[in-house]
Amino acid sequence: MNNMFPIQSKTAQQIWNNFDRELIHKLKLLPEEERTDIRLEILSHLYESTMDGASEETSTEDVSLINAIEKLGSPEEYIEPLIADILIYQKASKGHPVAILQGLKSSAKKGFFHTLATLILGMGYFWVIMIFIMSVMHIINPEIGIWYHDTGAISLSFEAQPNATQWQPEWFSLIGIFVSCLAYWGLSKVLSFFIAKLK
Amino acid sequence: MESDKIIERWVPQFRKGLLEFIILLRLQQGSTYGYELAIQIKDVTSIEVAEGTLYPLLNRLKRDGLVISEWQTAEVGSPRKYYEITHLGLETLAKMKNTWTKTHNSILNMVMQS
Repeated sequence: MNNMFPIQSKTAQQIWNNFDRELIHKLKLLPEEERTDIRLEILSHLYESTMDGASEETSTEDVSLINAIEKLGSPEEYIEPLIADILIYQKASKGHPVAILQGLKSSAKKGFFHTLATLILGMGYFWVIMIFIMSVMHIINPEIGIWYHDTGAISLSFEAQPNATQWQPEWFSLIGIFVSCLAYWGLSKVLSFFIAKLK
Repeated sequence: MESDKIIERWVPQFRKGLLEFIILLRLQQGSTYGYELAIQIKDVTSIEVAEGTLYPLLNRLKRDGLVISEWQTAEVGSPRKYYEITHLGLETLAKMKNTWTKTHNSILNMVMQS
């Protein structure tokens, strides 16, 4: 990347390299494509700002570079929000549980509509996980499943229900695991869309 | 003075909140890149914010579909990532302008009456 941003002074080149090293270190959590994109954009900004400053007669390249870094601000102000935004969005859309929890937490703090939506999504995750666990447990204990009562009521139960018929006892595990995985994926997509809309 | 300290704290927060609106207003005039945007915002509005803080905002505007970006490499100079406002961005900006005008008028009335 050094060819793209030709720096003349040796001192300025050292400062530039140090800044770039720190930038690479701070961005290491991101996927390569995002990392390169952000790094290139920040370096491009820094280079433009340095060249602008260096064109003034009173300024040298290294002083101008230091000023440019200062004007850019603290990395905590721009790198960290960028990383947090990108990571939470990507991980939540991939169904990463920690990112999902983080996403739900930040969403819940954004007012009534967001809190309501978070509750609905949270309940969705709860039932999806519950059905998945029951589907796996059904393999060991076939009584676990969905039961239809004579009264017309339906219940999820861990034991055989009197006066009730079990729904799909042979296929419950397969259907349950498949549907819960699909629903988990779907909820994560909805959540990542939701995170993307968070202001 | 106590009030000066409060104003010192209030002004950056107030200005920062307007940045997304200002970015879209600028992009409505044509595509631009981060550094140029930072300089123009500073020149036109006298808003003194760290230039880097524009990037999380631009990223968010991009994710919301209000702007798109494209890298352009010139023969001379560094590569630049140009941002352009989208149709959705223009639509959102029109609503922002409407909100801004209403709010501005209401506040102006209150200021005039005070």
